[in-house]
Amino acid sequence: MAMYNLNVNGTAYQANVSDAATPLLWVLRDILGLTGTKYGCGIEVCGACTVLMDGQPAHACVIDISSAAGRKIVTIEGLSANNTHPAQKAWIDNQVPQCGYCQPGMIMSVAGAMQAGHHGKEILPEVKNLCVCGTYQRVRTAVAKL
Amino acid sequence: MSVKDQITRRQFISGAAGGLVVGLFLPAGGRLFGMGEAEAADLLADGAAFDASALNAWVRIAPSGTAELMFGGCEMGQGTMTGLAQLLAEELKVDWTKIVIKRPDTNENPNTPVTPYTSSYLGTSTFRYGTGGSSGISRRWLPLRVAGAQARELLVAGAMLKLRASGTEDTDRTHYVAAHGEVTHVPTSTRWSYGALVSLAATPDARVLVPFIDDATRLLTATADFKIIGQRLQRPDIPAKTSGAAKFGIDVFLPGMMFAVVKHCPTVGGVLSTTPATPTGAIKVVPLKAYDNRGAVVKDSWNALAVVADNTWKANKLAKSLKITWKLPTSTASVDTATIAQVAQQRLATPGAGMWLAEPVATTDPTVIATNEAAVTAALGSATAKVQATFNLPYVPHATMEVPNCTASVVYSGTTPVTCEIWAPTQNASSVIATASALTGLPASSILVHTTFLGGGLGRKIEMDYVSQAIQTSMAVKAPVKVMWPREEDFANDQFRPMAAISVKAGLDSAKKISAWSYRVATPSISWQRATATNNNKLKLDGQAVEGAVALPYTRGSSLTEWVPLDSDVAGLPVGYWRSVGASMNVFAAESIIDMLADAAGEDPFTFRMNRITDARTLAVLAAADTLSAWRKTLPAGRAWGMAISKAFGTTVCEVVDVSQPALGTMKVNRVACVVDCGIAVNPDAVEAQMQGGVIHGLNATLWGNAVFKLGIAQQLNFNKNRMMRLGDAPEIQVAIVQNTYDPSGTGEPAVPPVAPAIANAWYRLTKTRVTSLPFFPGATMGGL
Repeated sequence: MAMYNLNVNGTAYQANVSDAATPLLWVLRDILGLTGTKYGCGIEVCGACTVLMDGQPAHACVIDISSAAGRKIVTIEGLSANNTHPAQKAWIDNQVPQCGYCQPGMIMSVAGAMQAGHHGKEILPEVKNLCVCGTYQRVRTAVAKL
Repeated sequence: MSVKDQITRRQFISGAAGGLVVGLFLPAGGRLFGMGEAEAADLLADGAAFDASALNAWVRIAPSGTAELMFGGCEMGQGTMTGLAQLLAEELKVDWTKIVIKRPDTNENPNTPVTPYTSSYLGTSTFRYGTGGSSGISRRWLPLRVAGAQARELLVAGAMLKLRASGTEDTDRTHYVAAHGEVTHVPTSTRWSYGALVSLAATPDARVLVPFIDDATRLLTATADFKIIGQRLQRPDIPAKTSGAAKFGIDVFLPGMMFAVVKHCPTVGGVLSTTPATPTGAIKVVPLKAYDNRGAVVKDSWNALAVVADNTWKANKLAKSLKITWKLPTSTASVDTATIAQVAQQRLATPGAGMWLAEPVATTDPTVIATNEAAVTAALGSATAKVQATFNLPYVPHATMEVPNCTASVVYSGTTPVTCEIWAPTQNASSVIATASALTGLPASSILVHTTFLGGGLGRKIEMDYVSQAIQTSMAVKAPVKVMWPREEDFANDQFRPMAAISVKAGLDSAKKISAWSYRVATPSISWQRATATNNNKLKLDGQAVEGAVALPYTRGSSLTEWVPLDSDVAGLPVGYWRSVGASMNVFAAESIIDMLADAAGEDPFTFRMNRITDARTLAVLAAADTLSAWRKTLPAGRAWGMAISKAFGTTVCEVVDVSQPALGTMKVNRVACVVDCGIAVNPDAVEAQMQGGVIHGLNATLWGNAVFKLGIAQQLNFNKNRMMRLGDAPEIQVAIVQNTYDPSGTGEPAVPPVAPAIANAWYRLTKTRVTSLPFFPGATMGGL
């Protein structure tokens, strides 16, 4: 059992985790109760677990909690108060989500791209999240004006 | 059944709970769920005494004036709840955003983030719930509108009674206006909110004032007067899905909850030899039995176990490292996809006694079959031009983004269960109740099901396997427990879209009419795998095995459609409902052959089809697709187009695709034009989204979808070996909805079937290679991020 200091969405947490290899994803979900970040594959292929770590998109399912400690982590819950991030607004305006399960990860990938200075169509190559519902047409439209 | 019969037999009105309640029975997808039309009719056959427990939806106007609609469906991304609110609001004459839609799990208005832990409508456990068959709007179109209209007219009658009580008698309906949740008596300018009228509206005196209460033509708002139906409205659940607040099944947390991860026998049909000892760090290891027969998986066999711990990661790690001794089934050949495909080919050629003739008549009578075959053989023999091909389609997994999971809490008094509460991402809450009842012995009234948001349903979450496992686990640990499957368990233990081997021979006469058509499909049957001693499925033609092959719109001379059943002895892989079911297989063959005939006739694919179809609605779809895909006439070199059309779940969809070949062994799908006739589009935005999503779904299966099993063991366990479209792969998709005033038909599934043949037809135009086996690119992998 070890205590890890986590900085998530601007809040300092102390997470008691027995296995140092526990991925950040499961600490966020099961210990901190932040369930917006999703499990899809566990092998960094689908992107459902995308968060921002020190401003960069990162895949929480493959990051050990020991590596995540002390880094600045932003999850979908911390992206904005009340859906005010431009990506979230665009997602609502264009009615992008269908089932919605992949969308937190998708939005975080977009937010990360924007934070890195990409806009409009330039964002698209940064977004590789898997969406089984197939919302890509509306993702493209939503991203075009970001 | 006439509209009048539907209303009088299935709806009742009462003043229950202080409000005005119109109860109604809304049939679910028909074939897929516990109660279809026929069963409902039987239940209500007496007429005289309505069994309130048979009703599964309510429109309730509370004394506060709130309009509530409770229905037993689920939200899995198809946006049905918005459409239902539109139907009700149109007739009830209220603001659609003020309608509170209650699913069986929540008291919350969908406009606020859903917390799925409050219960409502306890005692509704005898209701029938289900979502599937592209039926969410289409099956509720009439009953829900009628219920709303009946409530409205009773509220007007309530106003008449109010006026009477104040000394003025006026029962002339034309003097009253119902709008915006109020009734106005125009001559006296008196207004009452609906809330003020509910108690009078529920009385027999009010009923007397509405003699036309059963007359739908009198009750319903004319199509031309629609203000809400047909509007592109925003879905109220979307903000929770962009903020991260939306809770899916896998997000459920309860006080004292344990976490469990399931491990199935890696060989399909295998069972536990012994239950392993509980490893250090685990709370318990629970053996799990299969809830039903599925091919090589035998009902009640111990085919899996759950490792219970105090968090998901720990449970998963312990499950992966657990040494488990399995007893393998005696024959794994029936769960080997290469062997199954070979047997299918053999049976196609030599079908044997079990073959069904499906069209022109359903029979296994060998004499009738022989007569029909002789006629088609003769027609083929005298055809001027002939085409033929054998098509092979693989098993395909669902791969919902949210893995199978379920949370169950069975509460005990000593050793006896007293209650069972379940939180499930399920399309089939009725079966959840039945499953819980069978496992715990509890009556439905002691079982409460909360239907959470689903991270994808796609037909997978109709099934009870993961639900049964959660209940069994909770019973073993006597605590609430969330049970989930790692992705690897999902890919290995799906209930797959069945494989198919299809042989088609067709001929044109000297006038280039389709004079002969012989279609034979060898495929496993979902309903046969689920046959029991009492349901006799194996005595019936499985309509799903031939859907998309029968009732084609083309005028043909001598034609027949045959089905060669592949039963579990030769095809032991579990099969289930995959978005668009049988049509996802048969339309590939049928529409490929049509294009081959067009080629033989020297005609353009659009013209060829138009000249051999008489149905006006189908022709209108073709004409619209012709217009929408005008770009196909000026495609640059290196790109080619292809088209296909099909009707599924009452809805006709025509798709035109534009493909290119960037490098040998690759395909780029540049653009898809999609035209849909689904009758009145209640929410065109939702229809468009279903078309866009259905196209991607179809493309995934066409290009890559392929579940390979070798001697019972799954060869693709995660997305890295199960390629699916990412944003960069996705074509531009244009959707046009044909405008007409026909009743709404389904939209969740119909966009899927035309994709595969449209792609194959385009590919042929591009490369002169006719691809008849799917997927186009077996073994494709998907790289890491």
